[in-house]
Amino acid sequence: MNVALQTRPPALSEYYSETKCIWCDGCGNYGIWTAVKYALVELNLHPWQVCLCYDVGCNGNGSDKIEGYRFHGLHGRVIPFAAGAKLANMRIPVIAFAGDGATFSEGIGHLIHGVRSNYPITFVLHNNTNYGLTTGQASSLTPQGQSMNTSPNGIPEHTLASMELIFSLNPTFVARGFSGDIKLMTRILKAAIQHRGFAFVEMLQACPTYNHFATHEYLLNKYFDANADGHDPSNLQQAKALATQVQDRIACGILYQRGDIPHFYDRLIPRQGVETTCVEEVRRYDVSKYWKELA
Amino acid sequence: MVGASGQGVNSIGAIIAKGLKRSGYCVFGYREYPSLIKGGHASYQLDISNQRIRSTETKVNVLIALNHHGLELNMEELKPGGIVLHVTPGWQFPEHHQKLIAERSLRVIYFPVDDILDRLGARAILSNVLLTAFVWSMLDQDLDALKSLVGEKFAKKKALLELNMRCIDEGFSFVDPEQGRISVALPPPDTDFAGHLLITGSQAMGLGAVHAGVRLYAGYPMTPSSPLLSFVAELENKTHMVVKQAEDEITAAQIVSGAMYMGTRALTATSGVGFDLMSETLSLNAMIENPTVFVLAQRPGPATGLPTWTAQSGLLQAANCSAGEFTRCVISVSNSQDAFDLMPVAFNLAEQYQISVIVLTDKQIAEALYTQQPYDLETAEIDRGRLVVDPEKLKLLKSSDRFDPHAKSGVSLRWLPGSEAATYCAQGDEHNSMGAVDESSLNTKSQMEKRLKKFHGLKAGFPAPHLSICGRSATTTDWMDTGDEIELLAIGWGSTGDVLQDVMCSDELRGAEDRLFALHLSLAAPHRRTSEIGHAVETHRPGGAELSGAVGHAHQDGMRHGYPG
Repeated sequence: MNVALQTRPPALSEYYSETKCIWCDGCGNYGIWTAVKYALVELNLHPWQVCLCYDVGCNGNGSDKIEGYRFHGLHGRVIPFAAGAKLANMRIPVIAFAGDGATFSEGIGHLIHGVRSNYPITFVLHNNTNYGLTTGQASSLTPQGQSMNTSPNGIPEHTLASMELIFSLNPTFVARGFSGDIKLMTRILKAAIQHRGFAFVEMLQACPTYNHFATHEYLLNKYFDANADGHDPSNLQQAKALATQVQDRIACGILYQRGDIPHFYDRLIPRQGVETTCVEEVRRYDVSKYWKELA
Repeated sequence: MVGASGQGVNSIGAIIAKGLKRSGYCVFGYREYPSLIKGGHASYQLDISNQRIRSTETKVNVLIALNHHGLELNMEELKPGGIVLHVTPGWQFPEHHQKLIAERSLRVIYFPVDDILDRLGARAILSNVLLTAFVWSMLDQDLDALKSLVGEKFAKKKALLELNMRCIDEGFSFVDPEQGRISVALPPPDTDFAGHLLITGSQAMGLGAVHAGVRLYAGYPMTPSSPLLSFVAELENKTHMVVKQAEDEITAAQIVSGAMYMGTRALTATSGVGFDLMSETLSLNAMIENPTVFVLAQRPGPATGLPTWTAQSGLLQAANCSAGEFTRCVISVSNSQDAFDLMPVAFNLAEQYQISVIVLTDKQIAEALYTQQPYDLETAEIDRGRLVVDPEKLKLLKSSDRFDPHAKSGVSLRWLPGSEAATYCAQGDEHNSMGAVDESSLNTKSQMEKRLKKFHGLKAGFPAPHLSICGRSATTTDWMDTGDEIELLAIGWGSTGDVLQDVMCSDELRGAEDRLFALHLSLAAPHRRTSEIGHAVETHRPGGAELSGAVGHAHQDGMRHGYPG
């Protein structure tokens, strides 16, 4: 992150949007939305200094409920879009948001290659374990056997082991928050935005309308701040265990982070030593030196 | 040159082509090969002239067969008096080929490659150099010129270089014991060509893209778009561009869209079904009015079709795919000249109208080798349309300026993330002027109209089809003067343009120059409907109405970008 210092610090009100919120009462999106604004303000970022990219779904409907340069795209595709935006202008923090359907069903390939590529972006997974906006169908993270809109007899498939998958991809940042704890989410998001590489942030969130099996109260009773309990994010084995073992308690906080792995852009040999961004470099180029070998 | 894939058919073709070009010949190289790495039947055809040629003939003067399959498959293509050069020991031509040899007075030369290689202790791969050198001597070309050409290739590998030079000497001095020295007379060279480039359409397009300010390229391999990806990657350390091989075409398109949204110029290329995958992104870009350029390197379909063969099969796909209706632009390049020239044009149109531009090419252009005049590097402008970058102007912007439905021609102001200004949302759902979701009928209508309005401006600024008479750029008067004598009007687009030109300049059609017209389209959509072109033709009859529309503009604009006739 490389943003010019501002003489006037940003205020929370700068992120206020006149567009009315349309989420259901009790939706976890309200909490995440608030934490995002807190995190950006606490990082001293004005709305014009950030790029917020949204996938499709209830979380994506938040794209016009906040200020900032925003993008609201296609289902499952937000990670490559955000990566392209970031690679074009490394000076701007890029944060991508998507639900569990977009991330682990339609766009799972993009997630895998996003983590693998270690693009320098923040990715926030809104995990309400179902497709909310399309009225309560199962996602690949909905518990097996759960009856949903299109699976009256219960979902026949295994539930995808999302955190095991993430840890199999050599991530550089893994965190988990809960939509009911704004303070915790703010801390996580700030660290994620400052992370040099792909920051994977899962936000467990309530869906009061369609998710009756992992409610706000259920999550509230199970989650805990692992960092407050002394978890060291550099401990890979412990991080993996905390991330995947969620039967009794659900560990939240910054579960894993390492900063010694160069991110995608840093690995690009042609960009080494180049101080400008691709955006600044658009001009007419003399290509005659490149065709010498063709003469 | 015919043989199996992996035998080096292309390398012989490429090196002879380069040598002849340096000697002052116009060379056109054409490649055919199956979709496999080793084996099958591949060919590389070189057409050579001291005048401008732009395509291949169907018949050949010399057939060089690297295996006996080539003899079996390609003998029929020889012209009378032609030469067959083969390397198959003890080959007995079947009866029908013996008849062909007699009827067409063909000369057959056996070149004992294996014996020579054995004698030199060289590996089989050097048979290419032997053959190249032999052909070089047949063409009466200078030995040292070939040596310096091969020397450039192996400059850093001393041991290899030495062996190559010995092979050149051996090949060059080979004399057929039965027929003596064979010589193929080439016309006198034209030194103009010596300073030209020898370039594939893909390389031309890659250079054009860099020239146009493209700073990020993302692509997924698919023939015939892959050579562009490889060429851009090959240059990345020199251009300092971001080049990314994506995990699929969807990713490539999305990365490019993200990069363009952020404000750089970015490019992707694909073919057939790869473009199907990109079409959702095309649709998205229309809604968020994000300028983008897609290269669609056509190949025959449906599905994966014929991966390594050519067809102009993607026009309707490019012009019609995607959800809903919106303004887009389809350009088709026709040769190495406008493969270069049309890249800046494509990016300018994309940014001027904040639309997607699809640039059509095909395998013929992508892999053909053109003798190309060095490009004009002064003419192309970088026009970023209504992009606001001035800090003072940025401060005056309102969020609602971004998608203002009242914007003239439907093109609103655009400014980039990171600009100190009011922010907006690039919204994939129907939205109001600032990008907030608005599904009301009134808003939907005004935004749809805004996006479709761009069509009119785009179309008005389009160079019309270019008219020519037998290779010459035609004028209104030419057309009027023909009276009722127009015998043939050939209408083409894309790679057929150059073929048409060569046909119309051919000896066979000499004498009919004033009665043969060609109409060529480089810019394919917004549609110039068939009826519109038909109307243009109708009204151009002598005594008819004044020239209007399609053909009228051609004279002013057609050659400006170097569009072929």
